[in-house]
Amino acid sequence: MKRSSIAILLAAAVSAGILSCLEPGPASESSQAPLELATPPTGGDFTLDSAAGPVRLSDLRGQAVLIYFGYTACPDICPTNLVSIAKALRSLHPAELDRTRVLFVSVDPERDDPEHLARYVAYFHPNVLGLTGTPEQLAQVAKRYGAAYQRVEDTGSAMGYLIDHSAFTAVVDPNGRLVQTLGHASPPETIRAAIRTALGTEP
Amino acid sequence: MHAIRTLFAGVLLSGASLTLSAAGLEVGDPYVRAVPPGQSNSAAFMSLRNISTEDQALIGAESPAAETVELHTHVEENGLMRMRRIGRIVLPAGETTTLAPGGLHVMLIGLKSELTPGQNVELTLIQDDGERMVIQAPVRRLEPMHHAAH
Ligand SMILES: [Cu+2]
Repeated sequence: MKRSSIAILLAAAVSAGILSCLEPGPASESSQAPLELATPPTGGDFTLDSAAGPVRLSDLRGQAVLIYFGYTACPDICPTNLVSIAKALRSLHPAELDRTRVLFVSVDPERDDPEHLARYVAYFHPNVLGLTGTPEQLAQVAKRYGAAYQRVEDTGSAMGYLIDHSAFTAVVDPNGRLVQTLGHASPPETIRAAIRTALGTEP
Repeated sequence: MHAIRTLFAGVLLSGASLTLSAAGLEVGDPYVRAVPPGQSNSAAFMSLRNISTEDQALIGAESPAAETVELHTHVEENGLMRMRRIGRIVLPAGETTTLAPGGLHVMLIGLKSELTPGQNVELTLIQDDGERMVIQAPVRRLEPMHHAAH
C-alpha cells in the first residue's frame, strides 16, 4: 500500500511535465491521484548492488553517467532503450567511452538478482552496469531521479506480474549533477550528444 | 504434394515475407526479437492487412518456442509505459494494423530455448472465425528505432 502510493505520487510528478520528453498519454482519472507535493528530481548520490559488489554513484565522479530504470522481463521498452544507448556508446571516441558509464537499475529485484542483471546488461555493452537493491532503496533512488514505477499484480497474464515504468534516461555529469533526461526511444545521436555535453567534449 | 509446392512458390514470389490466409488476412514482415541470454520473454512484430470486406480480429497465438503466447499492447499513460494483455486485436476491413515496438505485440513468455538471429520461429495466429494461420517469423537482432518526432 505504501509502495503503491509512492508510485502514484511519482507518476504524478512525471505527469507534471518535469520530464518534458515524456508526453502524457490519455489521462486516466481512475488510476492517478490528483497532483500534489510533486517535487522535481534532484539527483544525488546512492549506493546499489551489482554482481561485483556495491556501486556508489560518487565512485563515478569524472565520468558521465546515464541512469535508466527498468526490468529484464520487459520484452520491448527496456531493450529498445538499451540498444540505442549501446549504439551511442559505440559511436563515442575511446577517450569519451572511458569516461562514460551506464547504470541499468532494475526495479524488479524479485526477478532480477545482480548476477542475472550482469548477464543481461553484458549483452548490450560492457560499459553498462546492472544494479538493484531493496524495494526501499530503489524507491528512494527512483524518487531522486524522477523515475516512476508500479507493480501490477492482476493482469491475467502468464507474466505473473508486470511493472509499469517510466522509460527515460537520466544524465549525470562528471561532477555528479543530474543535468538532463532523455525520453523513451531517444535516437543514439541524441544520447551521444547528451553524453558529450555532460563531458564537455565536442558536440 | 505438387499443388502444395506450387502454392508455396507462389507465396515466395509474392514477397519476401508475405503470408495470406484464406479469410483474406495478409501478414507482412513478421519477426521476433533476439533477446539477451537468460532472458525468458520476447515479442513478435508484424503488419496485418485485412484485404477482405469484413472486419476481422486476432484472438490469440501459439508457438512451439514459448510456454505461453499472449496478445499484448503498450500504452503510455502519464509518463508510464504500461504493458497489458489484451483479448483481441481488431483488424478493420481494408486496413493495415501494425504490431511494432512500443505498441501491439505478440508476447512470447517462457522461451524454451535461446533465440538466435536468422533462426525462424513458428507462430500460429488464431483469428476470430476460427481460422489458424501458421507463419514463420525470423529472429532479428534489436536495432535502434529510426524514430520520428517525439
Ligand atoms: Cu508484452
